[in-house]
Amino acid sequence: MRIVVDRNKCTGLGICESLAPDHFEVNDEGALVVLRDSVSEDELDAVQQAVEGCPTEALRLEN
Amino acid sequence: MTVHAEAHSFDPAPVATLEFWGRTAEERETTFKELRDERPVSWHPPLEGNLLPLEKDGIWIVVRHADVVSVSKDWETFSSAQGVTMEEMPEDMAAAASSFLGMDPPRHTRLRRLVSSAFTPKQVKKIDDQINNQARRIVDDLLDVGDCDFVAQVSKRLPMWTIFEMLGVPQELREEGYRAADGMVAYLDEDAAAGQDALTFQMNALMTLLNIGVELAEERRARPTSDLMTNLVQAEVDGERLTDEEIGAFFVLLSVAGNDTTRNTTSLTMKALCDFPDQRKLLLEDYDGRITTAIEEFVRWATPVQTFRRTVTRDTELNGQKLHGGDWVVTVFASANRDERVFDDPHAFNILRSPNPHVAFGGGGPHYCLGNMLAKTQLRHLFKELLFRVKDIEVGAPTYLTSHFIRGVRAMPCTFTR
Ligand code: HEM
Ligand code: SF4
Repeated sequence: MRIVVDRNKCTGLGICESLAPDHFEVNDEGALVVLRDSVSEDELDAVQQAVEGCPTEALRLEN
Repeated sequence: MTVHAEAHSFDPAPVATLEFWGRTAEERETTFKELRDERPVSWHPPLEGNLLPLEKDGIWIVVRHADVVSVSKDWETFSSAQGVTMEEMPEDMAAAASSFLGMDPPRHTRLRRLVSSAFTPKQVKKIDDQINNQARRIVDDLLDVGDCDFVAQVSKRLPMWTIFEMLGVPQELREEGYRAADGMVAYLDEDAAAGQDALTFQMNALMTLLNIGVELAEERRARPTSDLMTNLVQAEVDGERLTDEEIGAFFVLLSVAGNDTTRNTTSLTMKALCDFPDQRKLLLEDYDGRITTAIEEFVRWATPVQTFRRTVTRDTELNGQKLHGGDWVVTVFASANRDERVFDDPHAFNILRSPNPHVAFGGGGPHYCLGNMLAKTQLRHLFKELLFRVKDIEVGAPTYLTSHFIRGVRAMPCTFTR
């Protein structure tokens, strides 16, 4: 699975980072950095939560 | 316009009256439940007793969770650019008070980003210790004072301290700033307004906050530090620096949004933990393990922001109801957070509730609460201090604020063993 970010929707709040810190980080300028865009089986749960927790629906998982 | 008026008759539920918003939340919930079950998108006369005579012939009230979420997310159809509260405000006043809260993308996005970098998980973690220390100091003082008004002695103190600390407001301006921030939402309440008419009262509070913001901006232009205000005066949007008006509006928005919300969540949670001792016990058994889940329930339970408003930009339909461009739509978070379609046993205060998809921080979309992580950090530290250090703390009956916007507790006695 791969993480896809819609930059037009992301507001850089970092709820994803608080749920899946290994994959997401909002930098000092307030922009979202995807630390790793591939997601392994055992990370899927946390990343899924981040995708669902994003208030602007900016995140998607693709095969 | 006659066609429009004839098309809908007004709903019998008295939601758009000040009397309704002076009732208790439990009484209001009876009405909301009826609306959720029978008339989820309903048409009401505009709110009486507002700041300005209203030009609309009615307003839509949206009460179900799913509909509140749809409206919040679809900013292209439901705009924030023509005001976000249930009543009309003079335009210049709205602009001065709401900053990016009252804008749509793309301008909203550009302005919000200037402050959002101060609210990311990393930044909030950086001030975690300071918030913890301040929470400890507040409880030290409470222990010194003894039985008192919980709102004045506890709930009020942490939110404003945090936001003024982040912005870098000097001590000597804080008292005045606290009072003005209170005035911004208390204007509908006759006791709080102390005889002044609502508009004058709110205008005075607004001017005081604007002046503090602009004064602070000038100070930081001359002597930059590392606080949020310094970032703001140095920031550029589309190659231009922010004007004093824009900075003032930022200051007002942060002071208002970061104040009553966390404060009232604190008071209402303290009351809930006293009303439901089994839940308090459950939390104390494993505070660190349970507090993250519990805080979601604190915020759902309190729902300190009861309503927001949007303006329809084009003809559309919501849950089978036709809406026209220009119509006002009020999303009732207080009702959505009790929607039995989403929450099992919605009237139970259950600190282990999970999942808990409450809309207390908004229904999602670009305006989702910027301060949500900051608020959670404050609540986590404050309740740890309160529950572990203040022996047998109990609270008495609260006095509530009359407001269609904020669910507010004006005062609430507390007692404990010394
Ligand atoms: C328990 C505490 C809080 C609650 C329940 C709360 C609730 C809300 C709600 C309902 C919204 C509107 C969302 C929407 O329209 O979709 C909002 C927006 C906002 N909140 Fe909070 N809030 C809280 C604490 C804070 C704190 C501590 C701050 C810090 C300054 C803050 C700053 C903001 C700002 C700046 C906005 C406007 C965001 C925008 O328009 O883009 N809030 N909040
Ligand atoms: S939670 Fe969503 S909006 Fe926030 S930073 Fe992550 S992707 Fe962006």
